[in-house]
Amino acid sequence: MPDDPAPLLAGTLDLLILKTLSAGSFHGYGIAQHIKRLSKDALRVEEGSLYPALQRMQVKGWIASEWKRSPTGREARYYRLTAAGRRQLGEEQSTFERSVAATVRVLRSSDT
Amino acid sequence: MTPGEVLRRLRAWARRGQLDRELAREMDAHVDLLTRDLEAEGLAPEVARAAARRQVGNVTGLRERSRDAWGFPALESVLHDVRYAIRGLAHAPGFAATVIVTLGLGIGANAAMFAVIDRLMFRPPAFLHDPPTVHTVYLQITLPNGVQTSSTMPYTRYLDLAQRTRSFSQLAATSEWRLAVGRGLETRVRKVAGVSASLFGFFDARPVRGRFFGESEDQVPLGALVAVISEAMWRTTFGARDMTGESLRIGSLDYTIIGVFPEGFTGTTSGGAPDVFVPVTTIPPNLRQSVDDYDTAYNWDWIVVVARRAAGVSAAAATADLSQAYRGSRAAQRATNPRVLADSVAHPRALAGPLKDAAGPDPGAESRVLLWVSGVALIVLLIACANVANLMLARVMHRRREIAVRLALGVSRARLVGQFVIESVLLATFGVLAGLLIAQWGGAAIRTLLLPQGSGFNLATDWRTISIAGLCALVAALLTTVAPAVLATRSDPAADLKAGTREGSYRHSPLRTALLVLQGTMSVVLLVGAGLFVRSLANVLDIRLGYDAAPVVEVITDLRGQELDDAGMIALRRRLLESAERIPGAVAVATANSQLFRTSTTTLRVAGIDSVARLGRFNVQIVTVGYFLVMQTRILRGRGFQETRPGGVPEVVVSQAMARVLWPGVDPIGQCMQVAWDNVPETLAPCTMVVGVAEDVAQQGITDEARFLYYLNADQMSAFFNARRFIVRMPGARIEADVERVRRAMQAAMPGDGFVVVRPLQEIVDDNRRSWRLGATLFVAFGGLALAVAAIGLYGAIGYGVTQRMHELAMRTALGAQRGHIMGLVMLQGLRVGAAVVVLGLVIAAAAAPFIEPLLYKESPHDPVVFVSVGALMMLVALVAGLPPARRALTADPNRVLRSD
Repeated sequence: MPDDPAPLLAGTLDLLILKTLSAGSFHGYGIAQHIKRLSKDALRVEEGSLYPALQRMQVKGWIASEWKRSPTGREARYYRLTAAGRRQLGEEQSTFERSVAATVRVLRSSDT
Repeated sequence: MTPGEVLRRLRAWARRGQLDRELAREMDAHVDLLTRDLEAEGLAPEVARAAARRQVGNVTGLRERSRDAWGFPALESVLHDVRYAIRGLAHAPGFAATVIVTLGLGIGANAAMFAVIDRLMFRPPAFLHDPPTVHTVYLQITLPNGVQTSSTMPYTRYLDLAQRTRSFSQLAATSEWRLAVGRGLETRVRKVAGVSASLFGFFDARPVRGRFFGESEDQVPLGALVAVISEAMWRTTFGARDMTGESLRIGSLDYTIIGVFPEGFTGTTSGGAPDVFVPVTTIPPNLRQSVDDYDTAYNWDWIVVVARRAAGVSAAAATADLSQAYRGSRAAQRATNPRVLADSVAHPRALAGPLKDAAGPDPGAESRVLLWVSGVALIVLLIACANVANLMLARVMHRRREIAVRLALGVSRARLVGQFVIESVLLATFGVLAGLLIAQWGGAAIRTLLLPQGSGFNLATDWRTISIAGLCALVAALLTTVAPAVLATRSDPAADLKAGTREGSYRHSPLRTALLVLQGTMSVVLLVGAGLFVRSLANVLDIRLGYDAAPVVEVITDLRGQELDDAGMIALRRRLLESAERIPGAVAVATANSQLFRTSTTTLRVAGIDSVARLGRFNVQIVTVGYFLVMQTRILRGRGFQETRPGGVPEVVVSQAMARVLWPGVDPIGQCMQVAWDNVPETLAPCTMVVGVAEDVAQQGITDEARFLYYLNADQMSAFFNARRFIVRMPGARIEADVERVRRAMQAAMPGDGFVVVRPLQEIVDDNRRSWRLGATLFVAFGGLALAVAAIGLYGAIGYGVTQRMHELAMRTALGAQRGHIMGLVMLQGLRVGAAVVVLGLVIAAAAAPFIEPLLYKESPHDPVVFVSVGALMMLVALVAGLPPARRALTADPNRVLRSD
């Protein structure tokens, strides 16, 4: 575990959550762990941002939740993607990729 | 926000308690899971749990931020402000009540006036399809002495206009009558609308039962005798049974009922709904008037024409089209009557004007008075606003320290202003409610004064009036917030926090003084208006009418089409006069052919005068002998009429003014005049001899100056003059009871279906004075209201000033100031404002008053009596408003005041 995980880029939290949930249903802690694991500990999701984001996304109708018993026997709230969330993921992902590619192009040009 | 999201937010907001608990559980779960993983990494259980809690951080803040996703945070902050404002107002109930009542009076005055004006002038009738395209046709001719406007015209003219115009998709002829409806005991005088079949096409109304009549039933010369009755009449008179096909006597003819029109349907008639609609082409035969020629002659103006512009035709184009049609119609008329004035002289025009007469080109004095009074109501609202703004300013100054504390604690100034706005809006909202209540109940007087009977007036369902009241409130809220908000945000927290009442003792607020002066000035202007109208009404009431109508009962007989020859009519007249004489309490009875304020005239010749007509209009009144006694018109010279038979030298009594102009400087008694009245041989006698001179009477109108009137003796004529009017003098105490007694006695003497309508003559006199009385009543009511509001404002301001200066005043007292000096200090404040207000107000009133001169009678718009009294009244109010605060300043114990705070 590196001492200094990189901060999340602005606006990418929703995208990361959506992407995580596209792989299956997770509870809040699981989402944070999943992102940490896939990013090889480079990204850390703060609890203080995660739960408000989950509430907001529920109201937007992108994700839904239900209480289930976790494999360890603890009650937890599990989130899953809705159809609207799947569409949203597609849109955000392509927007993000285009934006990153463009940003990278700009950065490279300034190198020369 | 998508609709789905709004819905989910609403659902989340509704379940926010449960969501909050779930979030708490979720946090617990999160901490548990994290603890377990940390333990797995090798931490001790206690250490792991503490580390997990630290990592999750401030759970409450997290929950708060999550909550923002639910519901509507902006709205909740507004609700919070509303709750705050309500709490603040609840702590100042006196302030809140004063503001609400003041605004309520201002808004109520406007709502009441709007409700009336809207009904009289603007609101289209119910069921009317696409009202903006519908017009009433007004005919105008312009002569050197002014424009004459008329909305009634001959039926022939309507036919001409229909034939000669191309701009209209629909055209209808309408007329209103009061006719006897029913038979025997059930007979009532009812409002009957004679309309062309085309009128129903203007509306989206459908008959409740049966049908309306169609074109084939509305044909000249006599339409089908069919009638459509009102739903109200159907329910009360016919018990809501199916009565189509039954017969109903209306006026002098029997009609067949073919349908029932729905409640609320009034056609285009002004005022209350008619009880019956009949084809317009059955009206002349029913009235037995111009039966043979009403569709070819031009001598009877009785039709009001309603027209709908065709698509794409502007009102101006429609007026141009109507005008050329009117000129064509006048040309056709000129072919039968060469005396019709040439277009180059009369400049005829026909206008597609407003549907309601009261909003038309010649609305009459009453409507003009009403428009002025609406302006006055608006001023009352402005005064109320100035007053409320002043109160709010005082409140802000009072709360300066509270505001300073809140600013210091970091409340944004925008939020602070928002709270003022919310407080104002809240107060204005309550003001609307108070205003509507005031308008509904307090406006009852205005309503009975102004609106025709039976017109609905329920403000709770009157959205047009409610909207206007809301608009007034919005304006009031804005006007009253600006100043306090500016003041509050300009305040310097540091200075305000440091200053106690001691240092901040007394500051002049020029803004508050300006507001005080503003409302006082407007009150003075209104009071001057009220004074002028009151004096004008007094002048009208002072006019010598030349008769005493108060104890006189007028009876109008209706034979309902029964034909009698002259001898029969004369016999009937005698029988009716005799039965009237036998009524207990009747002291004198007579007939007269002209009702009050209606006149007849005919050609008159007098030896030695070329053209009598050039001297003015001479009206004739044909009366029986009792006339002068009934009316209490004095005979100044000679004698009145005597009981006589037809024949002999015909006699005439002339009015004093007439005697003076026809025989100046000569004794009129014994003079001759020649009255040319068709078909009445007696009047053609070479000499109708003057036997008496009567005092001048107001026959043509109350305020007319030329009172040329002569009386002929009906008993001297073998031909019968259509004397349908009887007058009975009943000097008893209760005219209402007399009216009923007279009705029963006269009704019993009527032959067949004959019918009498009875009412006190005074009503007619009062109707004629109405526009003056209206102006005086409403101006006084609103002027008084304005004065009261201004007085409250002044009292409040002086009182507030005293509270602020208490320290200073106590100090002066302690240092030995005289009581008179202290009193003078306080009172001077009010008197200074009073003097400024009087000077400003009177100057403005002097400039504005000439505009209402046409509505005044024999009253100079600069009447010094009015101006001086209003000035004095205002100064008195300023003095009285200063008394209680001055007393308070005097009675306060300097010891206690100086020690407090």
